[in-house]
Amino acid sequence: MTLLFAAVVASLFGSGTFLVLKTDLLRVVVGMVLISHAANLTLMASGLTRGEAPIYPLPDDAVSDPLVQAMTLTALVIGFGVTALLLGLAYRVYTTHFAVDFDRLAEEEARREAELEREEVSV
Amino acid sequence: MSRLSQIGALTAALGFGATLAIWAAGGGGIDLPWAPALGLRLHFELDGLGVLYSLLATGIGFAVFVYSGGYLPRHLAHQGRPRRDESSFYWFLLLFMVSMVGLVTAQDLILLFVFWDLTAIASYFLIGYDRQDVEARIAALMALVVTGVSAVLLLIGSLMLYVEYGTFSIPEVVERAEPSKLVTVAAGLMALAGLAKSAQVPFQFWLPRAMAAPTPVSAYLHAAAMVAAGVFLLGRIYPLLVTSEALLDGLVVVGFGSMLVGGILALTRDRLKQLLAYSTISQYGYVVVMYGLGGAAGVVGASFYVVAHALAKSALFLTAGAVTEATGEERLSRLGGLARPLRALAVGSGLAAAGLAALPLTIGFFKDELFFDSAEERSGLVAGLAVLGAALTFAYIGRFWIGVFLGPLRSPTHGAPLLLVGPVVGLGGVVLVGGLYPEPFVRLANAAAEASLGFATSVEASYHLDARVENLMAVFVYALGAAALATERAWRAAALGASSLGERLGPERLYVASIRGLNGLSDRIHGIEVRDLRTRIAAILVPGGLLVLLGLIATPHTTAYVVGGIAREDLGLVLVLLTTAVAALATTFPRQHLTLLLVAAGVGFSLAVVYAFLGGPDVALVAALVETTFTLLFIGVFALMPRASLRRLASLRTPGTRRWRDPLVGVAAALGAFLVVWGALSRPSIGDSVADEHVRLTPDAHAKDVVTAILTDFRGLDTLGEITVVAIAFFGIATLLRRGRLW
Amino acid sequence: MTQIVARLLLAPSLVIASAVLIKGYSSVGDGFSAGVIAALGVLAQYLAFGYREADRLLPVRLAPVGAVAGLLLALVVTFSSVLRGEPLLTHSPPPGSEVVHLGTLELITAVAFDVGVFLLVFGATVGILRAVAMARVEDET
Repeated sequence: MTLLFAAVVASLFGSGTFLVLKTDLLRVVVGMVLISHAANLTLMASGLTRGEAPIYPLPDDAVSDPLVQAMTLTALVIGFGVTALLLGLAYRVYTTHFAVDFDRLAEEEARREAELEREEVSV
Repeated sequence: MSRLSQIGALTAALGFGATLAIWAAGGGGIDLPWAPALGLRLHFELDGLGVLYSLLATGIGFAVFVYSGGYLPRHLAHQGRPRRDESSFYWFLLLFMVSMVGLVTAQDLILLFVFWDLTAIASYFLIGYDRQDVEARIAALMALVVTGVSAVLLLIGSLMLYVEYGTFSIPEVVERAEPSKLVTVAAGLMALAGLAKSAQVPFQFWLPRAMAAPTPVSAYLHAAAMVAAGVFLLGRIYPLLVTSEALLDGLVVVGFGSMLVGGILALTRDRLKQLLAYSTISQYGYVVVMYGLGGAAGVVGASFYVVAHALAKSALFLTAGAVTEATGEERLSRLGGLARPLRALAVGSGLAAAGLAALPLTIGFFKDELFFDSAEERSGLVAGLAVLGAALTFAYIGRFWIGVFLGPLRSPTHGAPLLLVGPVVGLGGVVLVGGLYPEPFVRLANAAAEASLGFATSVEASYHLDARVENLMAVFVYALGAAALATERAWRAAALGASSLGERLGPERLYVASIRGLNGLSDRIHGIEVRDLRTRIAAILVPGGLLVLLGLIATPHTTAYVVGGIAREDLGLVLVLLTTAVAALATTFPRQHLTLLLVAAGVGFSLAVVYAFLGGPDVALVAALVETTFTLLFIGVFALMPRASLRRLASLRTPGTRRWRDPLVGVAAALGAFLVVWGALSRPSIGDSVADEHVRLTPDAHAKDVVTAILTDFRGLDTLGEITVVAIAFFGIATLLRRGRLW
Repeated sequence: MTQIVARLLLAPSLVIASAVLIKGYSSVGDGFSAGVIAALGVLAQYLAFGYREADRLLPVRLAPVGAVAGLLLALVVTFSSVLRGEPLLTHSPPPGSEVVHLGTLELITAVAFDVGVFLLVFGATVGILRAVAMARVEDET
């Protein structure tokens, strides 16, 4: 079972990494979501016990580890907030530079920086 | 007067009244546990020192709020800014007042440090209030850097004391402190922080630059409150300073240095506010000297001096602002003869100036009397320097008042509004009352000194019409000062020469040089860094991955990996896991964004089913809901971008090298993750997990769902942090999507 | 058709969200899930009716207020125990004592904390998606 979990985590992580390397900013965000899914699955799979849901009245056989569930829940919600922020950033990048692929963005950034450096630095 | 200034004035008045009431009832405080494991407590106590500075902060705050009600609309109108910019001014002023009161009542070193920095932050925004003025921005940054960096010294001193005595609480540290090298160094560092805040030599250069702030800010922060915080700290840690003679002597030297530097420079300044700024440096030099001289007379005198100076100096700053408003001039050389048109202002500021110059019938007379008293107890040299300093004060303040109000009328004026004149007259009146009836002020100073010294003092101040030394020194001061005023032309050149020498060699150049150096260093590092975002990330992640690989290679691999059996009832779980893996791999293929999104959503939903199979219904529910919201969010953002760009993005062909590099990196990352996660999952933790405790204790938390109990009760602080993250993300995204301004 | 269904689903989704919130203590459910369920019910209105109509709904107008109120409620619950002299986030009533029941709802501070979380997640989610919708409208105008 551990082998299977590890394999699934690996596939999630690998696909996420592949997408993060793309030039398209939106694909990068999807890749980050996949990587955080990989982390959450690792969390859930690392529970010390696996069984029924941990709700009273408790069943007779094993009960799933509630601590990893709570932590995964927290991680999911934080991931939600962060992804929403990333998408907002992607939108702002678009409205500022009118491009969401990295090659065009790199050109635009270099151009802006050259402009800024021409201004005086005052202390 | 605008609504906000009324609210501010009311708050200040309430604070003043509350402080008096609590003090009359014998003092009081709050003591709450904050982080008991670290020994941090929310300990606020209104002792003598706290009462004095609180009354100062709230009382002068009241005058400043009233003044701002009249000053700020005119100020904004001059600069062409809208009226609603007023609100941020009043909020920061209120924040400052509250943090000042918190600072002086805090009895815990870390609490003190937090409020210390809060005052610095409020001051930054207030000095830089005229955002469009470059001078104001530079001055605000300078003030923040100088007071902020020296605040670190305060923190270091506190930590040294914590390491030695195991507590952050000020009363306990004071009780346990003994003369030792550690206490001397810690107290010295903290004293340095205080000296920087009070703009003493060699940290004095930020105060004159801070005069770029609007006048009410200068009157409040840089005459009465923020610079007073520095000497307040000296009073608070006085029991620690007393353990070392060297520290006290150092304070005397620094104080006299500031007195002389400030005094000489104040004699040559033309701009009104600059003159007053150097005067503040000089006057706080007096206070530092008195703390250095020590003893009952010194400490009581120091506290009394702060009160007297704050009253007089803030009135003078407000006068400068009112005069500039009335005539449009801020230079002494272009002002004069305003006593006739601005009669009330002349009277009010005259009283304040007399107070600063220590003329009889003003509270200032007693401030200098206490100063001379402690000075002549020490030695003749100290007394002589004291007389010299006081004479300088007399000379420059005389120059100020006479230059503005007497003599020929140089710039016409149409009168000054009541809201600007009223506070000046009020403060001048208090100066006069203090001269006729100094008992309450002396009692206040004695109470403050009691907090510093640890024993009750009963220094008195009253008029003695005999030839005691203090009176002789005072008369000598008047004579010397008047002579200096009369012979101004003679020494003017020498003083100007001294001041320009100071500018060339002074500490300000060091500050400017270090800022320039830091900027240059940052530029050089930025030049080395790669320009592209992706290569920048790769520069961090690739070495990180290599380190993980090294860790893997170093692990013995015979017992590290466990395959683990698959039970028959786990078949559903296995199928869903395989679905997830396939969906994950499938996300790498689609070109269209919508298809990509649907496949990614498929990954998310199948993971939700996995969580359900793993016995976590709460997690499964949240995962499914979050995935739905993600999908909606992505679709929304896709809809924001024009179809043409999305189509262009979709049809981008990856160039040759990246075509094989990207999948290779993906496979390598997957392999690495596989090995690490397999290794981690194969070795469960040794010993019992706290999860068993959670399961057992849930009925005690009146709950049946263990996960909910963990989230809201056992690990509730984690949840608090998490919802703060969501809130911040909300504000962030709302600002980002509205192209800048949130409100 | 979509509009009818969407409008019909609004009230039940809010009811289900409150149910999930209340029974979160004795069964599956949580402040977060409740918040997101309620937000999704509101968002269905945006999808069906468009920005202008949906903006006039009461839950939408109160969303940012709700977010701040939720955060404040959670902070108040956390710090109320400091004022009683105990460490942060010590819930009352303490273990072993009687709890006032309102049906299955127990009136304990932990439930208040959960309600704060609910309000915040609801307000934040609705606010975020509304910001996206408004950005779209600003682009078009």
